[in-house]
Amino acid sequence: MACLGAQLFLIMTVSLRDTFSIFATTPTIFPAEANEFWQRREQTTAALLGEGLDHSNWFRNGIAVYLHSAGIEAGYGFFAPNVPANYKLVFELHYPDGRNEYDIPRVSSAAAGVRLAGLLDQLADVNYAPLRATMMKIVAYSVWQEHPDASMLRAYFGRARLPTPGEFERGNKGSYELLFAYDFTFRGTNLNAP
Amino acid sequence: MRSSKQRLEEFLFPADSDTWLGILRIGVGLQVIIYCLSLRTDWTDLFSLERAGLIKRDLSEAMLSAQSHYIPRLGWLVDFAAHFGVSEQAALTAAWWSLLCAAFLLLIGLFSREAAIATLFLHLCAVKSTSGLTYGVDNFTSIGLFYIMVAPLPDRWAADCWLRSAPRRNPHLQGFHRRILQLHLCLIYFFGGITKCAGAGWWDGTSIWRALIRPPFNLLPPETLIAWKNLFPVLSISVCLLETGYPLFIWPRKTRTFCLLAVITMHLAIGVAMGLYLFSLVMITLNLAAFRPEFSFNGMRMNATRQIAGPPGPISSSGSRHADPL
Repeated sequence: MACLGAQLFLIMTVSLRDTFSIFATTPTIFPAEANEFWQRREQTTAALLGEGLDHSNWFRNGIAVYLHSAGIEAGYGFFAPNVPANYKLVFELHYPDGRNEYDIPRVSSAAAGVRLAGLLDQLADVNYAPLRATMMKIVAYSVWQEHPDASMLRAYFGRARLPTPGEFERGNKGSYELLFAYDFTFRGTNLNAP
Repeated sequence: MRSSKQRLEEFLFPADSDTWLGILRIGVGLQVIIYCLSLRTDWTDLFSLERAGLIKRDLSEAMLSAQSHYIPRLGWLVDFAAHFGVSEQAALTAAWWSLLCAAFLLLIGLFSREAAIATLFLHLCAVKSTSGLTYGVDNFTSIGLFYIMVAPLPDRWAADCWLRSAPRRNPHLQGFHRRILQLHLCLIYFFGGITKCAGAGWWDGTSIWRALIRPPFNLLPPETLIAWKNLFPVLSISVCLLETGYPLFIWPRKTRTFCLLAVITMHLAIGVAMGLYLFSLVMITLNLAAFRPEFSFNGMRMNATRQIAGPPGPISSSGSRHADPL
């Protein structure tokens, strides 16, 4: 019974933490003035999970390992409160002879394609710029390995705004908005080097 | 008059058959096998540091270490294999085959407990090492595997039962573990529903439309979908009400079958219209295991009262409280 209580408590705490986080950071039907309230509630629930403790703390580590092992480390706000925008990543490959080509990240199965879409969503959500640049560089490196002659890669990451049903009926197929761009050169680089 | 403690015990420890566990084991075993096969061609590219993977394993694992160094990851297996001179490529291939074999053993129910532990560990290693490429289905698979791992195995359909003559566990223990899964599902849908209710797009149908035309889920052409635009508000409000109301409507006998059918229909529609077959499979499996049609909350309570003739006693170390009447 104690195990059941602990399991349900952890599921509820994680779900509340993620729900408060979603309410605090994304547009909802709640007034924007409530964002600070949601943020405080999120911090409280995160503290219950030991997230404010030192990284070496046994309680924090124990909870984290248990949550991940039981598959309950994340809440359940799929496609909520709003369906995320459609993100696109395009690489412009520059060759020494002045030629330019375009490519996109590729996978060889539909299952991996769904996962790739999730990766683009995560890239858009990363607020810490150095981490986003590192993730982008790794994806760009995988594309460069297919085109080792390219002297430079320019990565364009953008958001495709999906039309509403009304806009679609009027012939509007949506628009594309560039969010950020990065230039990478890989010649003589080995990302796997320690 | 029964005390509230007694009623709580009767609620938490109803006598139940092991059918739910069989459904969960077979469904999740199948799920992991399809997961392995669907990523067969991309497996090495996804995990190898030496190949042109989309996102490197070491980055995912470094991000994971920010949460804890003790969360399972494929890097452990690769490093362990490296001590014996085994290459990364060989270690990753062995991990794929091990996961496939463990899932197959789980599917047929041979060495069920060991297979469940191995499948959970290897699946966890794989999904945690590609944290940038995971989505909800991986969490739900982990949830299913975790409950199988701690459940009173084997069930009557497991090969362990007829090949190894493993003893089956008592029905109250089965009922308790199933009850945890039922309560967990209620929380999953409630929080999923309440978060959707907070988005304006779920009240005017825009979210359903956006979900269906958003790549890579845009299997149906928007020109076809637009003909059904008047249905979008009805469908999306129904999804909100169904998910938020799941904990209320899944328990009473009068609404249970409708609620279960509606949820299964919703997941089938997600699978067909958006191509999320694995997600649909795992959600339908969890729902059928938790609330399959013959389940009756009132009936179970009455049965439990009749069979145990008193509050349940303490569980023995072997996990049995009463002789298994099955």
